[in-house]
Amino acid sequence: MFSSSLSLPGRRTTGSSVRTQNVLAASSIANIVKSSLGPVGLDKMLVDDVGDVTITNDGATILNLLEVQHPAAKVLVELAQLQDQEVGDGTTSVVIVAAELLKNADELVKQKIHPTSVISGYRLACKEAVKYIQDNLTLTVDELGKDCLINAAKTSMSSKIISADANFFAAMCVDAANAVRVTDNKGQAIYPIKAINVLKAHGKSARESLLINGYALNCSVASQAMVKKITNAKIACLDFSLQKTKMKMGVQVLVTDPEKLDAIRQRESDITKERIQKILNAGANVILATGGIDDLCLKYFVEAGAMAVRRCKKSDLKRIAKATGATLLSSMANLEGEESFEASAVGEAAEVSTERICDDELIVIKGTKARTAASIILRGPNDFYCDEMERSVHDALCVVKRVLESKTLVVGGGAVEVALSIYLESFATSLSSREQLAIAEFAHSLLVIPKTLAVNAAKDATDLVAKMRSYHHSSQSKPEHVNLKWIGLDLMEGAVRDNRQAGVFEPAVSKIKSLKFATEAAITILRIDDMIKLDSEDKNTQSYQNAYECGQLDG
Amino acid sequence: MGVDRFTVEGLHKISYFRVKKKRNAKIFFGNAVTEEGELLEPNVTSTFQSVCHETIEMSGPIIVLSQNTKRESGKKVQIDNITAGKTVADVIRTCLGPRSMLKMLMDPMGGIVLTNDGNAILREITVQHPAAKSMIEISRTQDEEVGDGTTSVIILAGEVLAVSEPFLQQQMHPTLIISAYRQALEDAVTILRDQISTPVDVNDRSQLLSIIKSCLGTKFVNRWSEQACQIALDAVSTVVVDENGRREIDIKRYAKVEKVPGGTMEDSCVLRGVMLNKDVTHPKMRRHIVKPRILLLDCNLEYKKGESQTNIEIMKEEDFTRILELEEEYVQKTCEDIIRVKPDVVFTEKGVSDLAQHYLVKAGITAIRRVRKSDNNRIARASGATIVNRTDEIREEDIGTKAGLFEIKKIGDEYFCFVVECEDPKACTILLRGASKDVLNEVERNLQDAMNVTRNVLLEPKLVPGGGAAEMALAYALAEKAKSLTGVTQAPYRAIAQALEVIPRTLAQNCGATVIRTLTALRAKHATGGTTWGINGETGELADMKDLGIWDPLAVKLQVLKTAVETAILLLRIDDIVSGSKKKGGDSSAPAPGGAADQEAMRE
Repeated sequence: MFSSSLSLPGRRTTGSSVRTQNVLAASSIANIVKSSLGPVGLDKMLVDDVGDVTITNDGATILNLLEVQHPAAKVLVELAQLQDQEVGDGTTSVVIVAAELLKNADELVKQKIHPTSVISGYRLACKEAVKYIQDNLTLTVDELGKDCLINAAKTSMSSKIISADANFFAAMCVDAANAVRVTDNKGQAIYPIKAINVLKAHGKSARESLLINGYALNCSVASQAMVKKITNAKIACLDFSLQKTKMKMGVQVLVTDPEKLDAIRQRESDITKERIQKILNAGANVILATGGIDDLCLKYFVEAGAMAVRRCKKSDLKRIAKATGATLLSSMANLEGEESFEASAVGEAAEVSTERICDDELIVIKGTKARTAASIILRGPNDFYCDEMERSVHDALCVVKRVLESKTLVVGGGAVEVALSIYLESFATSLSSREQLAIAEFAHSLLVIPKTLAVNAAKDATDLVAKMRSYHHSSQSKPEHVNLKWIGLDLMEGAVRDNRQAGVFEPAVSKIKSLKFATEAAITILRIDDMIKLDSEDKNTQSYQNAYECGQLDG
Repeated sequence: MGVDRFTVEGLHKISYFRVKKKRNAKIFFGNAVTEEGELLEPNVTSTFQSVCHETIEMSGPIIVLSQNTKRESGKKVQIDNITAGKTVADVIRTCLGPRSMLKMLMDPMGGIVLTNDGNAILREITVQHPAAKSMIEISRTQDEEVGDGTTSVIILAGEVLAVSEPFLQQQMHPTLIISAYRQALEDAVTILRDQISTPVDVNDRSQLLSIIKSCLGTKFVNRWSEQACQIALDAVSTVVVDENGRREIDIKRYAKVEKVPGGTMEDSCVLRGVMLNKDVTHPKMRRHIVKPRILLLDCNLEYKKGESQTNIEIMKEEDFTRILELEEEYVQKTCEDIIRVKPDVVFTEKGVSDLAQHYLVKAGITAIRRVRKSDNNRIARASGATIVNRTDEIREEDIGTKAGLFEIKKIGDEYFCFVVECEDPKACTILLRGASKDVLNEVERNLQDAMNVTRNVLLEPKLVPGGGAAEMALAYALAEKAKSLTGVTQAPYRAIAQALEVIPRTLAQNCGATVIRTLTALRAKHATGGTTWGINGETGELADMKDLGIWDPLAVKLQVLKTAVETAILLLRIDDIVSGSKKKGGDSSAPAPGGAADQEAMRE
């Protein structure tokens, strides 16, 4: 049955056919996400085997949910995920560029140019391109003013479901990112966007999403009788449960005196009671615990006018602890072996209250002392909508963070790609080696982005790209036309325009990284000339399908 | 060499791309393509397996996606989604308005749901199509957010989708349609809020009653609407709590509906207090106490082992008896603790042992055991007691004294415990009586809607005219506004106005009026400034909603608009449905037939 010379059951493919195969697989992956690129890109609805629905426009999410089998295609899926982790945005474009690079490389290889030449050409082209972006195409935040932040966020959102409300959400994202700003010990400001808590609640409309200057916690108070609002809150964060003490791991207590038995039981509840007293004595009036809080303890909190919340997420508590200046205590033991609760472990906030949103309750901590915190509550007609909003907001937050940290931007709408393509073409002609061809192909591949953008908007791609190329050519050849390098696509009108004025910006880091990642991924796949695929182990179960495959049912 | 030979794997028709420069253009269909393959008979290539074998030497077809994945894209998806939305809307179209009919739904267990509540109906329906699922979700959202208008939201969303179809057919890009819809939604919300709505005085009881009445007018309890209105209003105004500036109305927790089959609807009432489906633990206990002192516990009144594992080694015989005594002593001690504060009634969430009962009876204390946590909370709110866990910590303040009467009554075959005549109860029980369980369930749903409406009005005291008048006024205002728009977005903008007319249209349809004539007349009325004119759902005639006194809360109408339009936007943006199976080798018997692409993901 197996024509290969391998001793293991499996099959081996070598030579140019494996390369072509890989390229085809990569292309079909790119084709899947192609239609979601750009401001007029549309969404995909993904349904899994239990019928759960995801509606998304995010390249990484789409590819993640597809069950991709082909190994080369998997490389592209991972590429999208890498981009998602590293940059957070631009996942679709990176896949499209990588696939296009591969396709063109395959053409070169078919013309009997050795893959290694192509690879070194690509490497060189990528290096040159990055250098060119950094030297000529970047803009700094100082040049553009504060609006560019909002514009960058808007550009990121423009392809998403919240595009119509981009103004609203962009401002929200910028505010949120600014709220969580911290200065690290080197004196540099960093923006840990993970500290922004994004909650979803269906109901109301997207426009009614809220940015809370504080921390919103998706829990409710342990007892109905507790107060709903505390001003000047003193917050204690506990990483243990306030339950009846019990011995761990099957420790047995052997008692000989029956009177002692009752004493043990008494002690069990007293230990917790004492702990609570200590916490309350330290001045805490909001107690957040990761573990449970026994019903029997609730009364003490109620009487003390304190708020107790059980089963908070640990990650939430860590952030709250940071924001309020509290210490997340994992136990109350101190160095003396006694139990104590230091007043210094208590954090402060101006107000803690429970809010009713939709049918749920949230605990909102406002005016935190140590650091400002931000939470975004997203509203929308149903869960799918909220999920997609969350992804879009996350992308936009990433973009804002990148811009704030690196302070450099490039112009979007295909401008960078066209400029690079023109530059690389002229650069290629300056080389006299084989790499020239590869670099020319690289330059050509970059044009796939403006082309796809135009095609998605149902505009004449060939015409528009030709126009853009001519503008960019003159900007690079004639010094007096240098400002033409900001020319990009206007997809609503189907024309070209100065995207710098239109305010279409992307973080430079994102563009550079996506170019690098795409090149690396293309090179990885290009280097393959042999594929060995082992058959799966469980051959002993002869199902109908196996029988069918083996041709036993034929004839 | 001519066109390269390739095979088409029939699973998906996705990729379409050109390979430039070289040779003649080739077109690949599908994600499984053999390159340099032998010329295969077209009929042989129709299944993947056969291709696989004959081309094993030359690289074979390339399988990129799992073969269990079904994929549909392009216009078909958009049209399918719209059809799915419309289908869902059609299911409950007849449930709108005062002349609406009930639906009887049978669940797989054989249970019956009898309702005309949009959410309750859709909850029971199992749908396959993902777009239909998201339609059903919005009904739930509506229910959770405002509690009413679950039918209208679905009908409106279905109609918004339906009016988009012609634009898609005319090759208009969805993003354009969407931006127009967004704009229209924004404008509609402002118009509704600023121009159509009227403020209401929440302290005016008769005005509130008329609002609730218009909500209940479409429901099963219509016949007893006077009484049901009173019940809903009383219940909600009982649970309102104003706590330093913020108003809290928690119907879910503090207004409990207890259904007792038997009697007539007229016997239903709101209790000034709480009722539980429990009897006293011991027959000798008192069943009628005026001004009871109430103690609430959430601990056992019986001996309970400690949490830690304790073993006792008994050396002496006396020790064994001592242990037994200890257990009794413990119960006695807890009872003494209780007796010391002299309560008349003890409610506990856990059990009460026979021994404890004995002590309590002797002290003349009535005990009720195994009370639900939520009930206990309600009694606490109504009587002013605090729930105590450890009996040695009971203090005088923990005792609730605000209740006026404790009694056990037998209704039908069961005993019920009433804690009523509370002064200023902040929690209440609504006692519903009626012919059968199914009827009661429906009445309960209606009451929930009515209470939610009341809550919405109390929280946001603004009203819009009902009976399709608000929608019609909105439609007229939007259509006027559309005239000032230039560009392609004008048409979809006007389509929203057109879609809004579905509400009065359905109202007219459901009561059997001549739809076209009525609607034209209504349109004419609105054009001449009669913004409060709508359709009288009983007679099908035009009427001024001001005179009829049919009003809806603004919050409900706003939520209907927002949810419906945003859902339509969500569904319109989709151009691709991938239904994939994450299970490996799901169905082994199906040898991936070539017609898999035609197999619709949608099995309605």
